[in-house]
Amino acid sequence: MKHEISALMDGELFEDEADSLLGQIRRTPDAYSDWAIYHLIGDVLRQPDSIHRDLTARVSECLRNEATVLAPRSRALKQRARVFALSAAASLMGVGMVAWMTLQINPETSPQLAMQQSGMRPVNLQIQPAANDYLMAHQEFSPSNDMNGGASYIHTVTYSPEEKSQ
Amino acid sequence: MGDKEVDQQLVERVQRGDKHAFDLLVAKYQRKLGRLISRFVRNASEAEDVTQEAFVKAYRALPGFRGDSAFYTWLYRIGINTAKNYLLANKRQPPVSTPFDTEEAESFEEAGLLHEVSTPENELMSKQVVNTVQQALQQLPEDLRSALTLREIEGLSYEEIASVMNCPVGTVRSRIFRAREAVAEKLRPLLETSQGNRW
Repeated sequence: MKHEISALMDGELFEDEADSLLGQIRRTPDAYSDWAIYHLIGDVLRQPDSIHRDLTARVSECLRNEATVLAPRSRALKQRARVFALSAAASLMGVGMVAWMTLQINPETSPQLAMQQSGMRPVNLQIQPAANDYLMAHQEFSPSNDMNGGASYIHTVTYSPEEKSQ
Repeated sequence: MGDKEVDQQLVERVQRGDKHAFDLLVAKYQRKLGRLISRFVRNASEAEDVTQEAFVKAYRALPGFRGDSAFYTWLYRIGINTAKNYLLANKRQPPVSTPFDTEEAESFEEAGLLHEVSTPENELMSKQVVNTVQQALQQLPEDLRSALTLREIEGLSYEEIASVMNCPVGTVRSRIFRAREAVAEKLRPLLETSQGNRW
């Protein structure tokens, strides 16, 4: 446990570990003694000129007759919950904004809308085999291509039974 | 979780009725607070009394502590007010003419003044504690001494120490613990001989 106490003092434990260990320290005299002595060592190293008697026993004695403190949950906890809620809301807004912007700039939606508005109809084009090289070279610029970057590695091949018979 | 969060967990335990959790806060901050108070109250014995009174006041005021500031900032305000009230009650003037705010309190690095009017026994014990710690530190292997010094004096985090010492964070954690424990082993016999007059 001493190893964990040392890490706890330095703020290097996770919250649940720290909570459990703090409970053990206050229940176990040896663990409490380690906590106190490690802090004494730190104080001596930082302020060797201001070491005085341990006051914990005196303070504890004074507090023996004091009423036990019972306070409502601190604002810090409420603040933590509020920060979490605000973070979640901000994340959702961020995702919504990105989604909305994606819809706005999606190149596929614009021509379809334009076609609907002007009454244009899709044209059925016969691609000549001779155009293959041109299409392949310019494939990555195609607005209908969602695989930007990977498109240049896709080779388009056309097959015609007439050519085969020749 | 950082140092402030550990304090906050202890505060919440006290606020839920766990009196013993307050002992851990006293053990942690008594010398820091005592040093601050000794700037106002020069007599060592009186300064100890005022430090004790400040902790008792802090305990009583703890239900009102909402965690808006760090616990030690809040505690130091109580310490300063307790010291000033003590001087006023004894018809003495606080030694500082300018307001002594909490930021100043936190960075206060002058030599402690508790020894100004200290008993010979306390003075001797204090010197023995300091000498024992310093000698034990000198006897440590270089890597352990560096790790502990970087943590306690320079205030570096484990990650920063790992970067400085070019080793994993787990090694830093282990070195700091071994260094503390080696010093504590030398210190324990000395502290055990002063029963009823703990240090």
